[in-house]
Amino acid sequence: MAEQRLGMVIDMKGCIACSSCAMACKIENNLPDENWWNRVLTVGGENRDTPSGTYPNLSMESMTLACQHCENPACTRVCPVGATVKREEDGVVLQDYDKCIGCRMCIAACPYTGVRSFNWEEPKYCLPFATGDADVPSHQKHVVEKCTFCNHRLAKGEAPACIEPCPARVRFFGDLNDPSSEVSKLISSRKYQQLLVERGTNPSIYYLV
Amino acid sequence: MTEKIKPANAQSTQDSQSEQDVQGVQSSQSTQSTQDSKKQASLVAIIVTAVIAIAGIALWIFQLTDGMVNTNMRNLDSWGLYIIMFMLFVGLSAGGLIISSVPRVFGIRGFGAIGKVATWVSICCTVLAVAFVVVDLGGPLRLWELVAYANISSPLMWDIIVLTLYLIISIVYLWATIRTDNGTGSPKVLRILSVFALIAAVLVHTVTAWIFGLQIAHEFWYTALLGPWFVSSALVSGLALVLVVAAILRKSGRLELENKDYSRMVMLLGVFTAVDLYFFGCDLLTSGFPGGTGADIVALLTTGVLAPYFWFEVVSGAITMIIAFSPSLRRPSLIVLASVISIVAILCKRIQLLIGGFQIANIQHATVSSGPALSESGQAFANVAPALVYFPSALEFGIVIGVLSLGAFLLLLGLRMLPLLPANLQN
Ligand code: SF4
Ligand code: SF4
Repeated sequence: MAEQRLGMVIDMKGCIACSSCAMACKIENNLPDENWWNRVLTVGGENRDTPSGTYPNLSMESMTLACQHCENPACTRVCPVGATVKREEDGVVLQDYDKCIGCRMCIAACPYTGVRSFNWEEPKYCLPFATGDADVPSHQKHVVEKCTFCNHRLAKGEAPACIEPCPARVRFFGDLNDPSSEVSKLISSRKYQQLLVERGTNPSIYYLV
Repeated sequence: MTEKIKPANAQSTQDSQSEQDVQGVQSSQSTQSTQDSKKQASLVAIIVTAVIAIAGIALWIFQLTDGMVNTNMRNLDSWGLYIIMFMLFVGLSAGGLIISSVPRVFGIRGFGAIGKVATWVSICCTVLAVAFVVVDLGGPLRLWELVAYANISSPLMWDIIVLTLYLIISIVYLWATIRTDNGTGSPKVLRILSVFALIAAVLVHTVTAWIFGLQIAHEFWYTALLGPWFVSSALVSGLALVLVVAAILRKSGRLELENKDYSRMVMLLGVFTAVDLYFFGCDLLTSGFPGGTGADIVALLTTGVLAPYFWFEVVSGAITMIIAFSPSLRRPSLIVLASVISIVAILCKRIQLLIGGFQIANIQHATVSSGPALSESGQAFANVAPALVYFPSALEFGIVIGVLSLGAFLLLLGLRMLPLLPANLQN
């Protein structure tokens, strides 16, 4: 068993769909234009920020979606060159741009629609300068990328960049293997949901419902 | 020996039999000149296909430098025409090797002189299958990593290994057949080789199926049936291709093939088609019966956006079986028709499988997409009607034509340079 299993707990009841986490991720990792590792999804409605149901019985709920850093990832197993691997010490699923041959096998293998993205062209940036942490590996054309749990911040003992900026304070990060961690306590005291559990990937993102 | 040339000009020069007998000398002269012009035509064809193939390579270089954004593949439909063609050509490669190796393995009567040509067709198809994977890669210059960092848990890695072995075995097998026919090789060695060739052929289709069939992410793909089903589809398309090639060579008088052998092959095609459709039926029932998301897949195929491809496959399968199993319909023209629609039907099946796998997303909540999620064609229709998530771009068609020309080039070159046809009919 891994020493640590880093994971996130996100309280769907409190999420106000402000996209602060998505923006923080984008800036921290200097993501190319149109590339979002972490996104806000509107559950139910046909378009973003629209309710589901018919008036007056409307309801609206939001959730954020990024790589689930599965305990049993579907993506790492299929990569022919090992460009995406799960780090055994902490369970983080990483992506090596220098190794990736761009076969997109991992995109086909991941059950969580859209969390992996391929750079279909030379990355473009709307700003004339790079943003975020200088330790973030630079983006490349024709490779697959995704959320890294801000691996460069983990190395400094910090939580991913999307945790702190949440104005509703519904994002939590920590070691799911440690029963005294905040995340473990939350999932032991609240009702939660993991996405697509039936696929057997055992995602490390827990949504409080 | 000159008598043996008869079938050649009987068909192609339309010289009547009696004329030929009376004016024996002149006729053999005209044979000489038709053969020369044929030789020239094949040279022209080789050059033309080479030029188109080179143009295809230029397009591929453009795709690599300007970016794969020029294809219509996007994050939510991350594979497209190239992988469809890859599946198709792995399948097409089956026919030749099976036709020539099965009779030898089991010691039954062969299918006549078609064996070596069929094996060469197999080899060309395998090369094309590899080429289609390569043009799909984002970083083909990193291909060496497959050796350096091989991750053997990846079905793609398995397929690369098996495809390579398959290619080597096919080439060795062809070489051994040629030698044995010349009387220099040992029939025993050839028989042992044919066993390996047959095993490799079955493996290569199964492993190709596993690239899709082991993906828990796509309900449409994740089924144990996919392996055997790929084998049956491969047999259908592969045998159909051999039949088409045989028909062309027969017509041009370069191959003598008894009608009986030809009929036996088309009957086999009927059997393979029946098995393939039977598997399809089993799979649809298993998906649809419990209702739920599996039923969505059945609806997608039978009444949804993939319905034209699905029904073409079913109807063409029915026509093929009718032609194959009615002795009065087993005429050369109808056999060619059955073969051609069989190949198109298997292409339709590959399209259904690939696009169908991406068509229904697991998580469908509205969101901004990370990178362009759908190709323009998908995007344009996404809001209006649930249309296809993917349709190839002009560049993809261009590159596919280039790769196909490479195949035609190899095929023609082989026919010209290798002793594939019976010596007396070789020009
Ligand atoms: S969510 Fe997808 S990409 Fe992330 S670890 Fe799981 S299978 Fe891999
Ligand atoms: S696209 Fe890159 S990371 Fe994904 S499977 Fe292929 S080589 Fe591995």
